[in-house]
Amino acid sequence: MSLLEFARGPAIHWSLIILTVGILWRLLGVLALTRGADLSRPRDAFGNFKGYRTVFSRSWPAGEFTTATMFQTSVAYVFHLSTLIVVFGVTPHIEFITGLTGWAWPGLPNAVGVGFGVMALGSLLAMILRRLSKPAVYCSNTGDFITWVLVALPLLTGLLAFGHLGARYETLLALHILSVCALFIWFPFSKLMHAFWFVFSRAQSGIVYAHKGVRI
Amino acid sequence: MTATTTSTPAPLFPTFEQVFQGLSGQIGQLRELAPKPKLPDKERVRRAIDVLIEETNADEAVWLESCIHCGQCTNACHYFQATGEAKYAPMRKMELYRRIYQREIGPFRAWYKLTTPKIKLSHLEELQELAYDSCSECGRCTMVCPMGIDTASLVHHLRSALVEAELVPPELATLHQEQKYRRTVFGASGEKFIELVQRIRDHYDMEVPLDKPQADVLVLSSAVDLVGNGNGLLATAKVMNHLGIDWTLCSDAFESANFGLLSGDMALWEKLSAPIVDAAIRLGAKTLVIAECGHAYPALRWNPMVKGGELPFEMMYISEFLGRQAQHGKLKLRPLQGRVTYHDPCKTGRRGGAFEEPRAVLRAMQADVVEMPANKEFNWCCGGGAGIFLLDDATRLRDESFRIKMQQVEQTGAEAVVVSCASCRLNFEAGRVKNRWNKRVESLVELVAQQLDEEMAA
Ligand code: SF4
Ligand code: SF4
Repeated sequence: MSLLEFARGPAIHWSLIILTVGILWRLLGVLALTRGADLSRPRDAFGNFKGYRTVFSRSWPAGEFTTATMFQTSVAYVFHLSTLIVVFGVTPHIEFITGLTGWAWPGLPNAVGVGFGVMALGSLLAMILRRLSKPAVYCSNTGDFITWVLVALPLLTGLLAFGHLGARYETLLALHILSVCALFIWFPFSKLMHAFWFVFSRAQSGIVYAHKGVRI
Repeated sequence: MTATTTSTPAPLFPTFEQVFQGLSGQIGQLRELAPKPKLPDKERVRRAIDVLIEETNADEAVWLESCIHCGQCTNACHYFQATGEAKYAPMRKMELYRRIYQREIGPFRAWYKLTTPKIKLSHLEELQELAYDSCSECGRCTMVCPMGIDTASLVHHLRSALVEAELVPPELATLHQEQKYRRTVFGASGEKFIELVQRIRDHYDMEVPLDKPQADVLVLSSAVDLVGNGNGLLATAKVMNHLGIDWTLCSDAFESANFGLLSGDMALWEKLSAPIVDAAIRLGAKTLVIAECGHAYPALRWNPMVKGGELPFEMMYISEFLGRQAQHGKLKLRPLQGRVTYHDPCKTGRRGGAFEEPRAVLRAMQADVVEMPANKEFNWCCGGGAGIFLLDDATRLRDESFRIKMQQVEQTGAEAVVVSCASCRLNFEAGRVKNRWNKRVESLVELVAQQLDEEMAA
């Protein structure tokens, strides 16, 4: 079995299984816990529902914090959006998803895909440099750095494979797929799970404060 | 209508500056009286972990799971902003909680038990500074966190764990023990309370109802009123009488302060709330008014263990009560000279929701109010909340973070800061004295009493 066959075969399959089972296990393990009851009388009877607004409103910092968080917020947005576009927009990825699910949609022109890939990698680089330059602010741990490396590698290997740079295309493609496998395996055990938690976490706090009539 | 003062007798009580100095002396003595740990180390750790397991529900678990170490919360925390020290970053305050959660409750606990070190007493000892001295549970970091994590709630659970580990800071531990076993705070007993009421009645020849059945409003006092600042209670009485409210105090339910809540002892928190709730029911009150004692608001009004919806009375903070009177045009006040700004105590503001009412009171005295650049939900804590103003070890943190507050006030050009919380007021007073700050610090209720317009009311 060649490296590429291994990557396309057992590696990607097992990593997808670990990703799915891991995510479900972690989500259910937490969400199945009981919820504490707040028996105090809410400020207004249906006010608590207003708390759900926080799920959306917290997508951008409040005016009070815009200046202080401008760099982090904008770079994070550039990273998230360009990564999303790359993951779901370039033709080889769409073909892979079609193979798994049967769904298909038109891909982006190659140059555009590369452009977003470079943006994603660039923003990731900007974020790690800032993280390293302000240790007191970020209080980074090993998990933060592993996550960074495992997110950066697929972007880097993807761009290299696309440009046929540095090694044989098959080898680069195999490395790209393997780096994605590593990311899939790491995902359920890491802070990458915030992709799910953010909805619950924001909603909970929104409700806790809305109960007292405070909009956060 | 009740009798009010006709001529102005000499002041019965000292100024707040004198009160502050007297209280500082008393606070200084608390350290020596602190109880020593009695349990073996292992037991203290076990109990702390057990209480966290018990108190961790899905909400806490989600918050603990959600942190992405993005560092945004450091922008919001006064202790971090004032010192720049990594250990005071909000997300650091929940690190040990997360470790305990991951080892004991989380979905991958089997893995974490194998791979992470056991929790030791030394870890909990290090936590003391993070959960008490450097977190006033103000909630400001939640306002910026992209995940919306409520660090303040998590820190409160950590305080519960530290109560079990016998690691409450000495000053809070002394008051916690005193209120737990003697039901007094700074020695403020029921007898002393009755005596204080009598002194006000005699000196000012005014009516101060005590234990009056079927009064509409039951008003609480606080230890600060009792052990020093009688002016607080005096002002409240004057205002209630002026408004013609059918009100009363209660000789066995007068204390707003709750060292169960402040220390993190949930059982004591509940125990201390119960007699107040019972008294309000027994007296048939329709409204319970909580004195200017910030944490008493969450201790009673937002007490998650008291079924508020089923009570036959409403609970409100004094600033809310006065604000509603003002909003209904019942509070007639003389115009206030000079510019003021209003400081929202964390417990009644961001973590309580009483924003508009105190401002309505200031409007009723046509005050020239200028808001601080960060106000209401975004207000900076003064640095002394959640019992921190009592802690000697937190002096540096308090002093440094107070500078942020001073800058905020300076930017308004106000001559005075109005506060509606005895802890904030004591902390502001300490900051004012230390920095020789040229601002006045006013209590909302005392300001109202001072501005009462007898003629307009008549
Ligand atoms: S709750 Fe307030 S004091 Fe505590 S960490 Fe957050 S901002 Fe800092
Ligand atoms: S802002 Fe929220 S997610 Fe970011 S480090 Fe702080 S607590 Fe964690």
